[in-house]
Amino acid sequence: MLDATQASENVASVRDLKVHFQSKRGVVHAVDGVSFDIQDGETLGLVGETGCGKSVTGRSFLRLLPVPPGILAGGAVSFRPHGPCTACEGAGCEACAKTGRRASGDQPVDLLSISLQDMRRIRGDRIAMIFQDPGKALNPTLTIGAQMSEVFLQHRTAELLDRAGLPPDTAGAVRRFAAQEPRFGDGLILKFPPKRGQRAKLQVALNQMVTEALAETQVPNPAKLMDRFPHELSGGMRQRVMIAQALACNPDLLIADEPTTALDVTVEARILELIRALQQRRKTSVLYISHDLSLVRRICDRVAVMYAGRIVEIGTTEDVFANPRHPYTRGLMAAVPTAGTARGKLAAIRGTVPELVDPPLECRFAGRCPYETATCRQNDPSLQPVSGGHSVACFIDHPTGSQDAPSFDRVTE
Amino acid sequence: MQLRDYIFRRLLVLPILIIGVSIVVFTLTRVGGSPIGIYLSHEMTPSEVAEIQARFGLDQPVWVQYLQWAKGILQGDFGYSGVAAAPVSDIFPLKLAATMELAAAAGCVALFLGITLGTFAGARRNRLPDHITRIVAVSGASLPQFWFGILLLIVFWAQLGIAPIGRSDATIFASIDHPTGLYTIDAILAASPKAFWDAVWHLILPALTLGYGATAIIARMMRSALVEELQQDYVDAARAKGLAEKIVLKRHARRNALVPTVTVIGLTFGFLLQGTITIEIIYRWPGLGRWMADSVLRGDQGTLMTYVLFTSVLFLLVNLIVDVVYANLDRRVTLGK
Repeated sequence: MLDATQASENVASVRDLKVHFQSKRGVVHAVDGVSFDIQDGETLGLVGETGCGKSVTGRSFLRLLPVPPGILAGGAVSFRPHGPCTACEGAGCEACAKTGRRASGDQPVDLLSISLQDMRRIRGDRIAMIFQDPGKALNPTLTIGAQMSEVFLQHRTAELLDRAGLPPDTAGAVRRFAAQEPRFGDGLILKFPPKRGQRAKLQVALNQMVTEALAETQVPNPAKLMDRFPHELSGGMRQRVMIAQALACNPDLLIADEPTTALDVTVEARILELIRALQQRRKTSVLYISHDLSLVRRICDRVAVMYAGRIVEIGTTEDVFANPRHPYTRGLMAAVPTAGTARGKLAAIRGTVPELVDPPLECRFAGRCPYETATCRQNDPSLQPVSGGHSVACFIDHPTGSQDAPSFDRVTE
Repeated sequence: MQLRDYIFRRLLVLPILIIGVSIVVFTLTRVGGSPIGIYLSHEMTPSEVAEIQARFGLDQPVWVQYLQWAKGILQGDFGYSGVAAAPVSDIFPLKLAATMELAAAAGCVALFLGITLGTFAGARRNRLPDHITRIVAVSGASLPQFWFGILLLIVFWAQLGIAPIGRSDATIFASIDHPTGLYTIDAILAASPKAFWDAVWHLILPALTLGYGATAIIARMMRSALVEELQQDYVDAARAKGLAEKIVLKRHARRNALVPTVTVIGLTFGFLLQGTITIEIIYRWPGLGRWMADSVLRGDQGTLMTYVLFTSVLFLLVNLIVDVVYANLDRRVTLGK
């Protein structure tokens, strides 16, 4: 959790993000004007139903939009990578948790407009992602070691050469191997002397780095795990590998897209604990995408509730859960069964998410909302603050001035 | 199960399969006509025919005849070829070498072009390279080989006069030794660049014609497999690591797309073997295919049975190789159960 003494700088800011998908029935506005900040070191939960655009929002940070091709239609995602620690200048001290890096005044970059080259330098290094299903997100035909090595080869070439005892200006096929820029015939060159020895040294260093990264996630016997294939591991084990891979380069921001949804409940708690511990140690910010409210409540500092491509409510976890201001948020919370819920009394929000082809100029929750009035069907509410850091997009708290304002006291359905 | 054990076990089953195949081959050939039909003429009297039949044991029960044939094969006696006017075992290796050279060249063409085109098209789905590949593939799968071969001959041999016909230039062929029977290999062994070029030059057109159809099949399979793999999560996960698109494509997606493609490649082998018959006739290639076509037309049963038996065994072996490659590409495949 965020301590009060730390200046709450933003590691990333999303402004008016719009992502469209071309479909046969028209343009789907999957994400339609989303704005939020991720503060340095915090965990921001992004909750909502399936298809509300939360995954697409998360993937926008890495510009990895799913097929059919998503179009980044507008907005900006500015990201401020950590700079070298001012106290120790990169050597690693207590202040920067031995990462050698800390939030600094580095110029933010707009992730949506930088070149693909620059984007690739950020992917996996400064911003990493954990996927929902580790069984699908690991390549079934490559060993764990081979897949983990790729991160280090891509972003830690200098450290790798250093560990292998090779000069930093190593060139030729060895260099191309260490920087993961293979050329035709390199494999053959590296198989025979004189390069063979250097290749072996690199492999030893690489294995060492992979083993260290795996050991961080408390897997038993990390060195042996390297030669295994993903299908030989359990789901929890695979997700640990994914986490080790994502956190290998100490990213400043971690996008966790429902990392425990595909796992057994018994494994879930341990994986969450692991993410939390690693995150706190490294001062990594996390965007935690989930549909599980109770889970978000447990691990997030702040929560953003998404509905139909928009953020309808955002605030600190305490504020949102103690005093939800949007009917949708209330509906979501009511839908979570507790130990006290009587048999057969499960609450559901009636209706379904509207189709996002040509979104209407009304409140998107209108039609499902128990408190809706004529105002809600004529105007589109925007996200406005109700207190401190708590904002909501609803006419209940922000009436338009007309007589017909909705209220939590009046159920209109 | 260990790979070695698996191969060993499969090889143990092989003889049983071969015996089964040989029975089928023998029966089918006998149904097709008398084995001495090729030697008979209208002027022979029935008693003369009966005498010949008795000399070759054809008056005995069919199963005895089968056993005699099988015994001969085990001793290396594959019968006498009326078409070649020589024992089958003398001619077969020479013809086989010629056909294998052609089939191997066509296979290389198909593998290389098929995988390259398929990858190229799959990675650029619904863009120009994909459309061009589709045209190449559809035409390759639908153009009859005999027509396409003749077309190439008309253009490059008859009109332009740049392509040769047959297997080699006779004088150059005679200038080197032929220990393997594979002309290109022989030329390399003899260190004769002139002979090598002659061999390659003669190979190009038939190999292209033969390989074109297989190229189409492999390219289409590769493309659709790659398109499917590129939609998998692990591809995005690889991109999320910051990998270059080239590596994402080659190391991640293509490797997985090769798994279903390998199966098709194995099947393509039969396609190639079948195609050699047409191609060898068109290009006057002195291989098994042409010999076989003659044998079928003239009822040369000794040759036919050897050919069918041989190709069946070849198929069994190719299937074994495909299974092994398959398991090597995808470790989720367990060999044997």
